[in-house]
Formats: sequence, structure tokens, C-alpha cells
Amino acid sequence: MTQSQSSYSPSKPHRKRDWLPFWLILPTVVVLLAIQVYPALYTVWLSVHERKPAGWTYVGVDNFRRLLNMGLFKESIGHTIIFLVGYASLTMLLGFIVAMLLNRKMRLSGFYVTLLFIPWIIADLLTGIVFRLLVFPDYGIFSGILQNPALFPPDGISILTAARPKPWFGDFPFPPSPAMIYLILASAWRALPFITLLLLASMQTIPQEVLESSRIDGANGWQIVRHIMIPLMLPTLVVALFSLTLSGMNGIGMVFSLTGGGPGTSTEVLSMLLYAIGWRQLYFGRAAALALLIAVINWLLITGTLRFTRLQERSIS
Amino acid sequence: MNRKRILLTLLGVLALVFVVAACAQQPAEQPAEQPAEQPAEKPAEQPTEAPAKEVDFVTWYQYDQNNEDPKSDERVGNQYLRDTIPQFNEAFEGKWNWVNQPKAFDKMTAELVAAVQAGGDVPDLFEMSNTQDMVDFYRHGTVQDLTDWAMAQSWWNDLDASAIEACKGPDGKLYCIPISIRPQVVYVWSDRFPDGFSKTPEAFLEDSERLKAEGLYSMTFFGSTDKGGEGLTRAMWTIISSYGGSLDDGQGNMKLDWPETIEAIEFIRHIVQQGYIPEIAFAGGFQEEEAFKDASAGSFPTGLFGYRYVNPLTAPDGTKYDTGSAEDMLNAIADGQVVITHSFAPEGKKPGCGIDVAGFVIPVGAKNVEAAYDYINWIMSPEQNPAWVQGPGGGFPALKATQEHELFQTPFYKQAAEAVGASACRPWFGSLQRPNEAQEMVMQVIYKLIKEDPTLDIATELQKVQEEYNANN
Repeated sequence: MTQSQSSYSPSKPHRKRDWLPFWLILPTVVVLLAIQVYPALYTVWLSVHERKPAGWTYVGVDNFRRLLNMGLFKESIGHTIIFLVGYASLTMLLGFIVAMLLNRKMRLSGFYVTLLFIPWIIADLLTGIVFRLLVFPDYGIFSGILQNPALFPPDGISILTAARPKPWFGDFPFPPSPAMIYLILASAWRALPFITLLLLASMQTIPQEVLESSRIDGANGWQIVRHIMIPLMLPTLVVALFSLTLSGMNGIGMVFSLTGGGPGTSTEVLSMLLYAIGWRQLYFGRAAALALLIAVINWLLITGTLRFTRLQERSIS
Repeated sequence: MNRKRILLTLLGVLALVFVVAACAQQPAEQPAEQPAEQPAEKPAEQPTEAPAKEVDFVTWYQYDQNNEDPKSDERVGNQYLRDTIPQFNEAFEGKWNWVNQPKAFDKMTAELVAAVQAGGDVPDLFEMSNTQDMVDFYRHGTVQDLTDWAMAQSWWNDLDASAIEACKGPDGKLYCIPISIRPQVVYVWSDRFPDGFSKTPEAFLEDSERLKAEGLYSMTFFGSTDKGGEGLTRAMWTIISSYGGSLDDGQGNMKLDWPETIEAIEFIRHIVQQGYIPEIAFAGGFQEEEAFKDASAGSFPTGLFGYRYVNPLTAPDGTKYDTGSAEDMLNAIADGQVVITHSFAPEGKKPGCGIDVAGFVIPVGAKNVEAAYDYINWIMSPEQNPAWVQGPGGGFPALKATQEHELFQTPFYKQAAEAVGASACRPWFGSLQRPNEAQEMVMQVIYKLIKEDPTLDIATELQKVQEEYNANN
């Protein structure tokens, strides 16, 4: 064995070891580049182009400018905020309550969990259609009750066509229209099982000794929830909140089939507007610009939530 | 060192992905040039080269030959395809094999535009069901210029002039072949209007009050903002145009604040606020039809082809038409229970209505243009044309020769012809070059004015919308 061979040989197996993981993850990286990175970059490219009869034309930030000048865009942001806050808070609250009930030792709890899961396995598009059938004006299953002036004076309520109330804060669409409230309820109904199970699983990891000792120390129910359960479940609560925020922000199925953005524009959330601009009006460039803005909003929401959580964790510790 | 190599390899892979993607996009770059040249090069009258073996001829229809459900909304078109696909394949045996790919009616336009731009698989022929799609196709360079080829065909001179106009792009070239003309009409339960449907808005108000006293509605219509503001193209435009109103200035700008348009919207607001229109009219999802089906609403302005979807029916005297197919409306018309008529119009004005054409376009990137030409010529033949117009076309023949065919001498077609003859029909979008965007914006403001907040000043709200639209001209 020569000197040079002996000095080279130790590094050879080391190099092999280094490259193997790379080759193993390469297929995944290629797939990710093709289905995530490329579409993302293509969206950026689309957002600065517009289709003309002669082909694609570079328009700079024109698509963004047009979007920002659109009356409906500003209105949609308001609707999206209302929807997200209503949907996420209602689902979290109900999910927590149901999880607490299921966490108690009771008969048939497995059966209840199975029942609870039903809404989750129904497509949101179908859920929207079913909820719509319930409240069709004049012909819906519950329309006789809802539109009865004796029960809901003075004229009864027609959820899918009732006008929105006058806004309290300038143009911000609050209070929401009956259709928006119904949309929030329907969306929460569908998301409830997943969130409940997530929270239930987390709840079951809380050591019973901690809960029992707090009770012995005289803590009441609310104090246990506030000072023991929530802090211990915080990571799971954040995951649940992420899931709700992203599904609420990007989901369109329920809005599409339940209200179609109406009545008027009272449930026109950003994802519905994106669909309208891209697939109904066929402005792919402008739709890409909106998709990027939605991505930025998503990013802000996530980083905001993370920062808030870290602060909470710090204060707890 | 290793990190650098990994980085370089990743960059290499990224570059490879881009190259592959760029190559895949190549066909999308062709649209601009192709339309003008292709048809001129290959006139269909010339004998075409017979392919060595049968070649697939692919179409996109909103109908599905494999759907045999007798209660399907699209039963008429489905049956038409089932009948004619074998006929075509027999007529062109050894040459073409017709393969139809069914598409959702409200997605197929967007799908075609996207497919052409992405350089994906496109059909050889596309069934176009309304004129405003043509404007979008033109804007996106989706379809081929058919001017030279069409003008060289034997049927060209027999085509209705207004149908040809509807198929022209803003550059004056022909981008679609019109087969069927689809007007908007008014379906009326004759028992609800014993003296005939109201001729003027004032007479309509009197009839409405009478019907309201009986617990009925005088009219139902597509009053929601659903389906991208589709309601504008139906009753809204019928009433606006009957008042002599317009939505544009003839120069491509939106102009809504014409006095006639304002007056029409004021009238619609009035009939809505007075309770002459059922609440279901504003629910979307074509649910407004329910009020006509059970005769709780006396009239229904909609497209002529609407007869296929509005069923089953229960007449005011309790007679049921409940096969759940297009026959229900045709039978009710034959029995005199339902009549087709034109809109009311203010004294001294001609009733208005919207009009569309249905026909064919040939997408850019179509692989088998020769087959598409053969197919169009086949459809234009006296043997095939009436069946297409009555089937997928759902309107009046664009070919004058076909208008005399016995299929179009039924009570349904005769009444419709009289209604259209008494009206001044025109496409709702006039000179607007972005009809889909305009449709959504205008219907939203009309909804706001007639239903959501009837206290708003009509002219002011209309001006806001037209300014927003025109800012992007």
C-alpha cells in the first residue's frame, strides 16, 4: 500500500456515507420541486403577466394594482376576517367542550366518538348542499319555521336571501349577514369532529394526578381548565388553530355549495373571490396575484400565532 | 465541499424541472399565429387526404352519451349524442371515429382556455353554448380563425346575418360557427293571466296586485348573484332592454346610468319590494324555477332552452305534467296551459330580449382540424341540421333553410318565433370586451339596489360600478 493510498482510504467510506442520504431523499426533492416549487414560481410569473389575444404580456404590478382597486377585494377581506374569527373560535370552543364531555368516563363513549366523526367524512361540498336544502326560502325543510312571522317577527327569516344589517364600523361587514352566520355554523359543524378528537387526545395525556391534586388544593372547574388544562394542551391548541385557520382561509367547497358568495356579496370570502376571478372571469394573472396575497396573509397568520404561542409559553414557564 | 455539491445538484435538478416545464408549455405559445393561418391553408371543400386508418375525432360537449337517465337535466342532448355518434361514425367509416368527452356546462369554457394555454390535450371541436364565451376565447387566443374556411362553404350564404355577427371577434374575424340562435322569452301560465300576459309595465303591476291578493306571485326570475351573475343575462336584461336601456356606450365602455336603464331597475326594485316576486327567486342555484313549476308564480322570463329544465309542472287547475323531462313543458304548451310570449315594454317601445348563439369553435392546438371541418359540414347538411338545433342547440336554426323544417312548426316553436319576432333582441354585453367581469359586477349592483338596500340611489351606485370597470379598460 502506498503512502497516498493509505492517506486517501479513510475518507472514502466517509464520503459514501455522506452521499447515501442525499440519493435517498432525491426522489422526494424532485417531486417537491415539480409539484410545489415549480407551481409556486409559475404563480409568481403568472401574477405579473396577462393574457392577450397575441399571447402572454408582461404587465408588472398591474394585476396587483387592479386587484387592490377592486371594491369587492376590500370587502372580501372583511368577510374573510369575520368568517375566520367566527369559524375558528366557535369550532375551538365547541371542540373543547365536547372533548371534555367525552373525556369523562361514561357508557358508550366509543359510540359517541364514532357518531361524532360522521360530519368529518362528508365532503364539504355535500355538507353545503345539505345545509342549503334545509333553509331554502319557501321550499326548504325548515323554511316553514324560519319564515314564520309569529316565531321570528316581523317577517320571519330567510337565511339565504336576508339582507345584511347596516355595518357598525364604516364598511367593515359587521354584524354579519344571516347567511354568513349560517356558513360559520355549517363549517364549524363539519370541522368539529377533527378538532374534538385532536383536543380529546391531548386532554387524555394530562396526568390525572395533576388534576386530582389541583382539585384537592381547592381549584374549581374553570381554574383547572384555565391554569392547568389549557397550558398543558397549548401545543395541540396551536395545531388545531393552524388547521382551522388554513382550512377556513383556503377552503371554498362549503361557500361554493352553500351560499355561492351570496346573498349579494355578503359571504364572498377571499377564496371564493379567487375562484371567481380565475375560473369565472378567466383572469389567470390577476388570480395568481390574489393567490400570492392570500399566501402572504396565511404566512402572517401563522407567524402571528406562533409568536403569540411562544409568548404564552414563556409567560407560563 | 459536500454541501456545495448538494447545492449544485439541487440547482441542476431545478433547472431540469424548468426545462421540462418549459418544453411542456411550447404549444401554448402557438395561439397567436395559428388561428389566422390554419383555416386558409386547408379549405374543407377540397378533397381531404384519407388517413391510412380511422382517426379519433374528439369533441367536448356538455352532454354525455353514456348518461341514460331519463330524468337527467341534459336528457335531450345526451340522447342526441347517443343517436348521432353511430351515424357519424358510419358516414365517415374508415376515416373518423367520433369520441365525445362530456364536460360540466359551467366549467368547460375555463377548462378549454386553461388547456390551450397549458398546451394540454384539447378537443378537435368544442360545443359553444353562448356568445360571451366567444369573447373570452378571443381574448385568450383559444380558438382558430374560421373566416376563410367558413366563407368557402356552401351553407355560408344561408346563415342568418345576426348569427354570423355574434360569432365575430372584435377584430371582425369569424371564430365560431353558429348553428342555433337562442333567444330569451317569457313562459306564462295562461290561467294566471286570463287576458294574456301584460303588455306594459303598468298592466303588469295591475296583474301583479290581483295575483298578490290571491296569494300568488306574478313573476319569478333568476334574481340572485349566483353563477357569476348569470341572472343579468336573463330577466334583468329582458326588462332593461324592454325599457330601451343598455349597459355600454357602444365604444367598449360600461355605461349603466342611461335614464332607461335606471328606470328599468327602478321598476324591478318596485316589483320586488311590493312582494310580487317570491323569495326563492333570490336563492340562487336555479331554485327560482320552483315557483313556476308549482304555478305559484305566473310568469318566468328565461332562455328558450329553459323548457328542458323546468319540470315537473303542476298547472293552476291542478293538471300535472310529471314525466320529469322536457316533454312536461312541451305538453303544457301543447295543452295551452303555458304560453311563450315576449316581455312587456313601456308604451311606444318594442319589447327587448337577450340573444345568444350556440355552435362550434375549433381550439388552437386541435390535432384533427380536418375531422372538425367534416363534422361541421355534416351538421350543416339538411339531414342533420334540424336535429342538432332541436337537440344540443335548443333554439332556432341559424340556417334559413332549416327554419322551414317540420320540427320547428310545433306550438312551442311557433309561439317562440312570434315572441322573438315582436321583440328587439340583442346580446346584453353590447360592445363590452370583458363580459364575464361585467356580468358579475352589474348583477351584484342590481341585487344590491333591488333587494339588499332599496333606499340606495340607483344612478350613484351604477356610476360607481361603471367607473370601476372602465378604470381597467
